[in-house]
Amino acid sequence: MTRAHFKKTHLKRSLIKLLQTVLILLATLIMLVPILWIFLAAFKNHIDVFQLKLLFTPTLQNFLTVFEAPYHLGQKLINSTIVAFVTVLIAIPIATMAAYSFSRFKLVGETAMLVTILATQFVPAVVIVLPFFVMFRDVGLLDTRIGLVLVNLAIVMPFAIWMIKGFIDGIPIDTEEAAMVDGSSRLQVIRNIVLPMAAPGLLTAGIFCFIIAWNEFLFALILTNREAVTLPIGLALFKAEEGDLWNLLSAAGIIIMVPMFVLALLIRKYFVQGMTMGAVR
Amino acid sequence: MASVSLRNLTKRWGSFVGVDNQSIDIADREFLVLLGPSGCGKTTTMRMIAGLEEPTDGEIWIGDQLVNDALPKDRDVAMVFQNYGLYPHMTVYDNIAYPLKVRDTPKENIAPRVQRAAEQVELSGFLDRKPKELSGGQRQRVALARAIVRTPQLFLMDEPLSNLDAKLRVSMRAELKHLSRELKITTVYVTHDQIEAMTLADRVAVMKDGVIQQLGTPDEIYDDPQNLFVAGFIGSPAMNLVNGSIANGVFSSADGTPMVNIDADDCSSVTLGVRADDVTAIDKGQGFTDAVVYAYENTGENTLLTVLCGGQRIIVRGDRHLRKEQDEVIGITLNAANLYLFDPESGLRLRDTGVRDNRSR
Ligand SMILES: Nc1ncnc2c1ncn2[C@@H]1O[C@H](COP(=O)(O)OP(=O)(O)O)[C@@H](O)[C@H]1O
Ligand SMILES: [Mg+2]
Repeated sequence: MTRAHFKKTHLKRSLIKLLQTVLILLATLIMLVPILWIFLAAFKNHIDVFQLKLLFTPTLQNFLTVFEAPYHLGQKLINSTIVAFVTVLIAIPIATMAAYSFSRFKLVGETAMLVTILATQFVPAVVIVLPFFVMFRDVGLLDTRIGLVLVNLAIVMPFAIWMIKGFIDGIPIDTEEAAMVDGSSRLQVIRNIVLPMAAPGLLTAGIFCFIIAWNEFLFALILTNREAVTLPIGLALFKAEEGDLWNLLSAAGIIIMVPMFVLALLIRKYFVQGMTMGAVR
Repeated sequence: MASVSLRNLTKRWGSFVGVDNQSIDIADREFLVLLGPSGCGKTTTMRMIAGLEEPTDGEIWIGDQLVNDALPKDRDVAMVFQNYGLYPHMTVYDNIAYPLKVRDTPKENIAPRVQRAAEQVELSGFLDRKPKELSGGQRQRVALARAIVRTPQLFLMDEPLSNLDAKLRVSMRAELKHLSRELKITTVYVTHDQIEAMTLADRVAVMKDGVIQQLGTPDEIYDDPQNLFVAGFIGSPAMNLVNGSIANGVFSSADGTPMVNIDADDCSSVTLGVRADDVTAIDKGQGFTDAVVYAYENTGENTLLTVLCGGQRIIVRGDRHLRKEQDEVIGITLNAANLYLFDPESGLRLRDTGVRDNRSR
């Protein structure tokens, strides 16, 4: 390779690199601008909201207002937290058991079951929300957190089962067999070997489920009206007659987003581990 | 410590037969090697003994107990897996200690036993590491230490050396042999490497297609193969097998080239077996027959000549100073005292054709 040629390819490579950087920045910008907008609006007065200037007198008043009457965001925050946590606490153990069975045992109708579980994910929520409404009305589950937990379980379980099954598939069967020969019962194998090895995966799945349940909108909208209203529905309260209250909406939006950011930061390490677990072994 | 007995053991998947009605008695403290090419059912046999695979038919006895329905944990065996099967989330110490912990060994007994097992495989300095921080050879030692930390009735080892590089394999082989003679525990060892089998075993069971072809001491297997498969599988290089016929006390290859005088009955179709060590290469015209050098290889400790003779390739082992050129014509002589005859159809050894074979018994 001549020196000139080398320079040329070198130049070409730097150009591609530059292009990559620009594109990534652009994509990031497109995703971040709305969030930035919300972030700014949350600290603005009502009158400043539609002015795009960055210089304004910031106020924390919005964050107080949303917790006061008539909005009562506090109760919605509690509802959302309870519903999401309980959903995850129930979903992950059950999904883990199901996923382990699917992964390690030959079950009758295994493929059919797995496909069915997956297929439920493709049913549009709007299609089934009405039957749910009727059902819940008849058994008195309308506007209850238990009802919402049940609905969220139905939403996250298929997802959790498939995801955890992937992680368990990635655990070499040798490892489990070694533990059995070493003297473990099946339950000991699961407790001592499978769970610790799948832990990053379980954590990842748990967080995904939490996010799904936390953000769930449609079912909560139809199935609650006063007591069990969650944060996303709470946002709709800020559509007032005199126009959308964007500053309050933004403040509430940030309250919804912050736990997600915190979660993401906290579990970053495990998240990557979980996503790449199959490769680590 | 216990004897092991497999009676009419069979494993089928649908119509596919993995292990076909095999019986074998393994004596207490014996080191038995299951040897055969990949896919012949060695692992399946071992997994059935361990309880990881359910036999389709037959009985497995460990000691005086029929263990067919016993869980792996209740069979009191220790196994070394081909991929080691280490617990990646545990330290070396915890890996080795696991069989003790899970069997409720009193706490104060665990540490000394782990230490001792680690010393036996020279791992003492690595107890705090995780498996992924170890080399292949060290991982293999962890697997071994985990097996010997208890005193099980039976060791099972499935190609434990096959993931190591050639040099390490040789040294680990010696260590394994040393360890096994020290521990004196009944062992079933699976390998496709005939040198491993020959060096480690008290007895070797040569398997093919789910059937044990021959069971015997390494010497018996080497000196007295019962069929073409065993003859062709054991030895490095493998035994030369030449198709031909016998007439008037002369064996001729299929194209009619006389190759050796043999004191046997006439036979129109027979396979002659002769080991590379029992063929001598000399100058052209000096041997029983002439042959053309196809390839000359110098391995350092000796030389291997592949020659074309009677339309077939024959490997000759020469001493390390032998020098021949490719395409050179040389003479070869087969040692008439060490010839084997096989039926090319059935593959079985022909013993009663009147051949004076001093190795037959
Ligand atoms: N679970 C299984 N299902 C179907 N066939 C199998 C299974 N396990 C092994 N076999 C087949 O049985 C044969 C013997 O396998 P194995 O005992 O692993 O051979 P090896 O001698 O190489 O250890 C192989 O042909 C393999 O494909
Ligand atoms: Mg195998």
